[in-house]
Amino acid sequence: MRSTRLFSNKFLLLFSIVSIAASSLTAQTLTKRQQDSAYLLNPGQERIRKIKKSLAKKFVNFVGNDVSLFGNLVLSKQNINDNGVTAPINYLYNTVNSNTFNSGYSGGFRIDGIYKEKHRYALSFAVNRVAAGNNYKNKYSLSPFIDDFTHFKADDKFTTLSIAAHYKKLLPVNAMNKYKFYAVFGPSFDYKISSISKENLINGAGNRAIINGDLGAEFDNKGYYVLYAHYKLGVNMTSSSVPVQLNRFEIGMSIKAKDLF
Amino acid sequence: MKNLYILLLAVISFTIVSCNKETATTQTDVMNSMLTNKNWYLDYSITGNSTKSYVGQSTYFVSYLKDGSTKDSDGLTGTYTVEVINNESQIHVQLKTAGGNPLEVIYNILSVGETKLVLSKVVTSGTATQLYFTNK
Repeated sequence: MRSTRLFSNKFLLLFSIVSIAASSLTAQTLTKRQQDSAYLLNPGQERIRKIKKSLAKKFVNFVGNDVSLFGNLVLSKQNINDNGVTAPINYLYNTVNSNTFNSGYSGGFRIDGIYKEKHRYALSFAVNRVAAGNNYKNKYSLSPFIDDFTHFKADDKFTTLSIAAHYKKLLPVNAMNKYKFYAVFGPSFDYKISSISKENLINGAGNRAIINGDLGAEFDNKGYYVLYAHYKLGVNMTSSSVPVQLNRFEIGMSIKAKDLF
Repeated sequence: MKNLYILLLAVISFTIVSCNKETATTQTDVMNSMLTNKNWYLDYSITGNSTKSYVGQSTYFVSYLKDGSTKDSDGLTGTYTVEVINNESQIHVQLKTAGGNPLEVIYNILSVGETKLVLSKVVTSGTATQLYFTNK
């Protein structure tokens, strides 16, 4: 009985070794076509290599680029001026006006580098889920019974894609070889990718593009991670019957991609 | 390669321009969504300087249904359409009188919302009556 079990185990071990060896031999056996393609240049890879080479030539002054991933909390409030709306629609003021900062979130990646070995910059690309509080600047009334109302109800939850270009000024604070503090400023651009409600399209009010001015501070902990707080003030990029001013605070963290993967 | 960039740029531009544009029916669609499938109870009627209040009383109401029909508490039925004519938002109501004769009544929409509706009856002569409704 015991010898039978021993034989069985040995047989299993032998079978496993043979199987692994066989499979590795199969993997090494390349077809004629595979052998040829191994020596030939892959057109896709060649194209990427050429693009990289040409970018490196063009952006020779942009050095030390580090790619980081970031995520942040976004607190938003929008100021809405519905003076231009002529449609006879009412929204009760107290039900639509919150006048608070509501929380959303965003995530993306950024490239930090130095231009001409002097000017630090950050380029970031993000997807933002904005949930904004609303501050309606105008109140209307229709006596005797509609007290306060607005003509417009702004979309307060939307998703944007954004791109930002920030200049980073190193601040002479603390031990700069360990911890770095930066003041950052620059423009950014948001484009709404979520659908716009019909209420927001009346009288040409709908607007997808937002241009922002950004200002903030960043703390770099020995290159391990960066903590930051940014303020963004945004306005409609094109003219609208309902100008909206979007105020956002971003509080977040970025970590270098090479440290993560 | 250059052509690919141009094509990509064209696609992005087209996407940006073509999404969610206001159409001729946007405003009427929104007004219809606020108006329909509710009972609108008359709270006030104002003709010139005369204001009549019906607040807290068992009073007149009218309903505009999603299928384009309308009925009121007096038993009148008919059809209606919401239109914007010369920048004026209106409800055109086609009714039949007790004698079976067709009758068209036009109301200017002064304000419409989820719970409040103000109409002004269009008259050829005399002073227009403003009607204030709530959806209770």
